[in-house]
Amino acid sequence: MTDCDETLTALLFGRALDRDAAAHLAACPRCRAERAAVEGLARTLAAPPGPTPPPGLATRVLGAAEPLLARNARRAAGSILARALAAALLPLPVILLLDFYLVRAAFALLTTILPTALGAYLVFNYTATFALLLALTYGAIPIFVERQVRLRREESHA
Amino acid sequence: MATDEELIAAVASGDGRGLEELCRRYERPLYQFIARHTGGRDVEDLYQETWLRVVGAARRFDPGRRFSTWLFQIAVNLCRDWRRRPPLEPVDPAAADARAGAPAATDAALDARRLLAALPEAQRSAVILRYYHDLPEEEVAAILGCPRGTVKSRLHHAMRRLLELARP
Repeated sequence: MTDCDETLTALLFGRALDRDAAAHLAACPRCRAERAAVEGLARTLAAPPGPTPPPGLATRVLGAAEPLLARNARRAAGSILARALAAALLPLPVILLLDFYLVRAAFALLTTILPTALGAYLVFNYTATFALLLALTYGAIPIFVERQVRLRREESHA
Repeated sequence: MATDEELIAAVASGDGRGLEELCRRYERPLYQFIARHTGGRDVEDLYQETWLRVVGAARRFDPGRRFSTWLFQIAVNLCRDWRRRPPLEPVDPAAADARAGAPAATDAALDARRLLAALPEAQRSAVILRYYHDLPEEEVAAILGCPRGTVKSRLHHAMRRLLELARP
């Protein structure tokens, strides 16, 4: 690549010539000879005004993008839901294990002071209530995730 | 005001308003880039296809990069693919102008288009991005996926070719 190419390209693309390039342009007969042609070319390239986007183009694009946006929304919500469920399921084995030992100890204690059937009845009630609360907690996760996604979207526009 | 990168993150989570804002910001430069690249043919289709690809790939956008670079990369690739397709109908520059929303083409406009059309694909992309969009060589290189030296070399070759073509 020669200095001539550097200098003439700078001229064509409207860059300010640095001191070296300006000195080269002044001294180089080839560049001086081509200067007018390059400036004419720059004028030719600059002549046409850029085309204007037709009205309504953005609306058309947004309309066409709707299914893709809906897919993005589903995937984003799915990804958050998966993370939330993973975080929520992580302590579940420990909770179940502790509860198992708790129920077993409670049943053993109750049967020493109450008839076995009554002890079993109380323990069964406790276990059923516990299972119901657990199911409600995990069932609420998708609702919270959806709410979280909506809040985030609103915050990003605030 | 949200940055482009924040807006594309919103688009990745399905937010239409993010896309609307990005379209508003880049409508003119992107449209003009495609129009100059294709000589005014199929501009609206390519413009729409660019945005659909942006939305479709929004979740894979690397937040460490500039959105504008990514957007023009997609447009460059689409224009490249478009070039490989055979034309469906004979090209009428006046009709292409009307479709591209340009005012009636003057001789100078047709000259500029003829000159750009005569350049090889890679040189034309470099010239449009550098000359009409005034992007620095580093960003042109990032968009075209080549080293900065290659961009410089393409611009030099383009200038030589344009000078030859412009000679009466």
